Amino acid sequence: MVQDKTIGNRIFDTVNYTLLLLIALLCVMPFIYVLAVSFTSPAEVAKGGLILWPKEWSLASYRYIFSTNTLVRSMLVSIYITVLGTLINLIFTSLMAYPLAKTHLRGRQTILLAVLFTMLFGGGMIPTYFVVKALHLTNTLWSLMIPGAISAFNLIVLKNFFQQIPDGLEDSARIDGCNEVGVLFRIVLPLSLPAMATFGLFYAVGHWNQFFNAILYINDNTKWPIQVLLREVVILASSSIGDSTIDSTEIQPLTIRMAVIVFATIPILLVYPFLQKHFAKGVMLGSVKG
Amino acid sequence: MKQEMYAPAGTPVANARAGKSKIGYLIKDIVRDKWLYLMLLPGIFYFIIFKYIPMYGVTMAFQDYKPYLGFFESPWVGFKHFERFFSEPQFGMLFRNTVILAMYNLLFFFPLPIVLSLMMNELRHAKFKNFVQTLVYIPHFVSWVVVVGIFYILFTTENGILNEILYQITGQKIAFLLEAEWFRTMIISQSIWKEVGWGTVIFLAALAGVDLQQYEAARIDGAGRWRQLWHITLPAIRSTIIILFILRLGNFMDSGFEHIYLMLTPTNREVGDVFDTYVYTIGMTQAQYSYSAAVGIFKSVIGLILVLGANWLAKKFGEEGIY
Amino acid sequence: MKKYSATLLSILLLSSLLAACGRLSDNDKLASTDGPVNLSIGASLVGELPPKNNAVEQAIEAYTNTNLQIQWIPLSAYDEKLRLMIASGELPKLVKLGYSPSFISTLKAGQFWELGPLLKEYPHLAAINKRYYENISVNGKIYGIPIMRSLGRATIQYRKDWFQVLDLKMPVTLEDWYQVTRALTLEDPDGNGKDDTYGMVLEKRYNQDVSSLLTRISVSQGGPNKWQVENGQFTPEFMTEPFYETLKLFRRLYQENLINMDFPIIDTIETVKLYDSGRAGIQISGGNAQTWQDKLSKYDPDGVVDAAPLTGPGGFRVPEEPGNAGFLAISKDSVSTIEEVRKILDFLDKLLEPSMQTVISKGVENRHWAEKGEFTEVLDRTLDFKEVKPYRDMLPYLGEEEALLKPSLQPDLYRKNQQIVKSYNNYLISNPALTLDSVIYSDRGKELETIITDAETRFIMGQIDEAGWKAELQKWKQAGGEDMIREYEQSYSKLNK
Repeated sequence: MVQDKTIGNRIFDTVNYTLLLLIALLCVMPFIYVLAVSFTSPAEVAKGGLILWPKEWSLASYRYIFSTNTLVRSMLVSIYITVLGTLINLIFTSLMAYPLAKTHLRGRQTILLAVLFTMLFGGGMIPTYFVVKALHLTNTLWSLMIPGAISAFNLIVLKNFFQQIPDGLEDSARIDGCNEVGVLFRIVLPLSLPAMATFGLFYAVGHWNQFFNAILYINDNTKWPIQVLLREVVILASSSIGDSTIDSTEIQPLTIRMAVIVFATIPILLVYPFLQKHFAKGVMLGSVKG
Repeated sequence: MKQEMYAPAGTPVANARAGKSKIGYLIKDIVRDKWLYLMLLPGIFYFIIFKYIPMYGVTMAFQDYKPYLGFFESPWVGFKHFERFFSEPQFGMLFRNTVILAMYNLLFFFPLPIVLSLMMNELRHAKFKNFVQTLVYIPHFVSWVVVVGIFYILFTTENGILNEILYQITGQKIAFLLEAEWFRTMIISQSIWKEVGWGTVIFLAALAGVDLQQYEAARIDGAGRWRQLWHITLPAIRSTIIILFILRLGNFMDSGFEHIYLMLTPTNREVGDVFDTYVYTIGMTQAQYSYSAAVGIFKSVIGLILVLGANWLAKKFGEEGIY
Repeated sequence: MKKYSATLLSILLLSSLLAACGRLSDNDKLASTDGPVNLSIGASLVGELPPKNNAVEQAIEAYTNTNLQIQWIPLSAYDEKLRLMIASGELPKLVKLGYSPSFISTLKAGQFWELGPLLKEYPHLAAINKRYYENISVNGKIYGIPIMRSLGRATIQYRKDWFQVLDLKMPVTLEDWYQVTRALTLEDPDGNGKDDTYGMVLEKRYNQDVSSLLTRISVSQGGPNKWQVENGQFTPEFMTEPFYETLKLFRRLYQENLINMDFPIIDTIETVKLYDSGRAGIQISGGNAQTWQDKLSKYDPDGVVDAAPLTGPGGFRVPEEPGNAGFLAISKDSVSTIEEVRKILDFLDKLLEPSMQTVISKGVENRHWAEKGEFTEVLDRTLDFKEVKPYRDMLPYLGEEEALLKPSLQPDLYRKNQQIVKSYNNYLISNPALTLDSVIYSDRGKELETIITDAETRFIMGQIDEAGWKAELQKWKQAGGEDMIREYEQSYSKLNK
């Protein structure tokens, strides 16, 4: 790519780079704080203030959380429902989004309107539970994957992405004798990798952060994902949304809470850099078309 | 070209269609699109089973719902809860606060991810771009409790870092976290800090779909950066922006309960109390499920009107909209 | 490609169906045996999940001849989960309820067994202090066994070393509180030459619920605990003189910068940090002073914390707290016969025997604790936290002395704090409205409370004056406060006929 070397462009680039660097640093600050506190000794945390670099390093918090018997297991549960759940999401969502992207499809508007309606109105916790129970999904990990198989939001936005793919590409596949399922999997999905990466990320994060449904649908606590544990340690410790019957002496120290946050967040943070390369796939479009 | 695919003009198929009834067309189209309909089926089943069957729960808003009685035995009360809600003395204040906060959000928060992703799109170094992308999306994973906690450390009047600096310069402190006039600014800036990077993800995906050949062609025509941005980049993501805007309107009345609740104090309640915090307060002493459900329906109806209105407008201007 | 995707889909769907069909609830399999009694318990969980079949659970099962299935429900979703269980008829046999309007309405509707008349058959259950039962009664009926906590907990905890340096005495009157706070703030008690100490630090929930600082001080000065009843007439605490005087004390402290200016927003976590790092000198707390001392010592090895009883001009006067962290109730959904109710009560009764009380409070001997002379000693704090605490939190526990247990080895300050709390028993001021019936309270109690708690904060901060405060009181009355007073009076006269 040829750089335009005018002065205006240079100024623009300098400002742009500097600004983005600043924004990036500002954004990472809270996480550095969390990270730093998790490695700091409780005594230093008691002094207060914003800690961005521990003065006395301490691994006590991590030693503590690794000594718990639930952490590793619930982490594995989380990984399982995130990977399998996201796969189910992507298949179901793209299967439905693709036909809806075809403007000539009869009944399409009605279906889209019906989908949109579910974004605004819902039956609530109890009726949904009865459905999950009637399908014998309660107490299984499926209850954390199937009831949220399609997000109406993601469906509508993905449909919009599909609509932008030039028809010509799909037609050439049809001429080759593919049916619509084939077109979706052979042409549309490979061309929509950025979108797939995006919605995969959205879904994965959603699965990773699940805790409430796990408590509602699963009685067997060996099947709880990590976020249930995380909420217990972190959220309850905040007295703001809490219960006055909890004795403050029984609250875990800040350092341990932060260590749990780090431990539970890093895996999902790592997903993004892996997806990143797909966001640069725009280059391909031209060559396929040509 | 598509027309050609399905029924090339002048062919026997098209001629035969001309003579058939409307139902004939319908059957014909359905047969033609059988694969598409087949693909729709799992999704339709999903929405019926998990979204529409439980929908009877909405009736809760018109009952005095008690969990032990269930939906079929709880007494019906008609619009009692709605009447109570609309006649509450705070209703006006709650409505105003919710709407103002939502407007601020649309005005100041909504455009920022777009701007940020356009800025990132202008970066030429792939490594730096990846670096920035990865960092800006991190705050999304930090919970509101932690974000508000960090803001406290920075902004409090008691040894807050920013207030200390302010004091050195001006000799005065500002109670950012307590004063009502700072409330919305704080809420919006926290939202921006936490979510702006996350918001760019979807636009970056849209930007990735832009055909690079178009830029090259434009450059050959002598178009500068701004013109490329205006004539190629923005049009390419326009429909995504519109869709997201319309969908956002559906949640217009949602203020983000946890966030607001953590920032709410007696000194800023007059501007900070919104429907979501009100419902929480109500629900705290008593499980007023039906009343909460009624408030929820009110919020959703407003969302529905806004979405349908915006979609209608979008279509009027030749956009695709949601459906 | 087509085949591949179709196969994948069908595998996914099929496996989900199979997985779903093979699943039978564990409870179903374990029904009706002659051996140990099957007992499912719904318990709230704070913190970590105890390991399955741990030593404590085994010890309880062995002693009581039961087969326990404890369903731990994280506290953050407890109410929702319980609502779901009630709605779907899937309640465990024994379940923890809280004394809140939503559960009270369920109790009134007869969803749980009334236990009151049966209690006399169980010696240990019948021996529990009446106050505990009274505080969870609904229309005079008892539906559960309280998970007991101290009835009065508030103690004054202060920096003894600072008090000595500045030659201060324990505050008794409101003026004393002012003077002590002032000295601790301005007279540099830590001697570092910097103006960096507070007398007292308030947190954002300072005037909420049972631990309200305003209530605690106002009661010590002769005020009522939340409600005053005289000749059947009810008055809320905030319309009484001692409370208003207390409010004025804090207004004065705020005006003179003697407390933290950011109290309406500061979280407990932050205020605890200030105390732990030697930045503040006195507080009224429901916790044990030893906790503060432990944390302070890490920061300042010379810092000394002491505890003192909450005392006013009329001697000890302490607000009585509900004295429970919920109660265990027996569901009619899952327990259909009175025989089974008796079995469960028998189980609960056995839990109150000394050997079980030891297990509940200390765990298993030589695993969690060991004898050390005339005391018992915790062997491993982490293990105690993981395996014993969850049970200590959710099963009825009387306290070491009442349960006739060997005392555990604790620092002097810990015992002192404990003794102070114990000595309160005859000086507790109870809240007369605690178990009274009020529709207004259950419909909009929190809303009404917010009017007042907001006004308190704004009065302290000087945003409203006396006239403004009076106006807020009027607003409270009109918004339903007046009706609430009337409802309480009616309910009171009905119960005290």
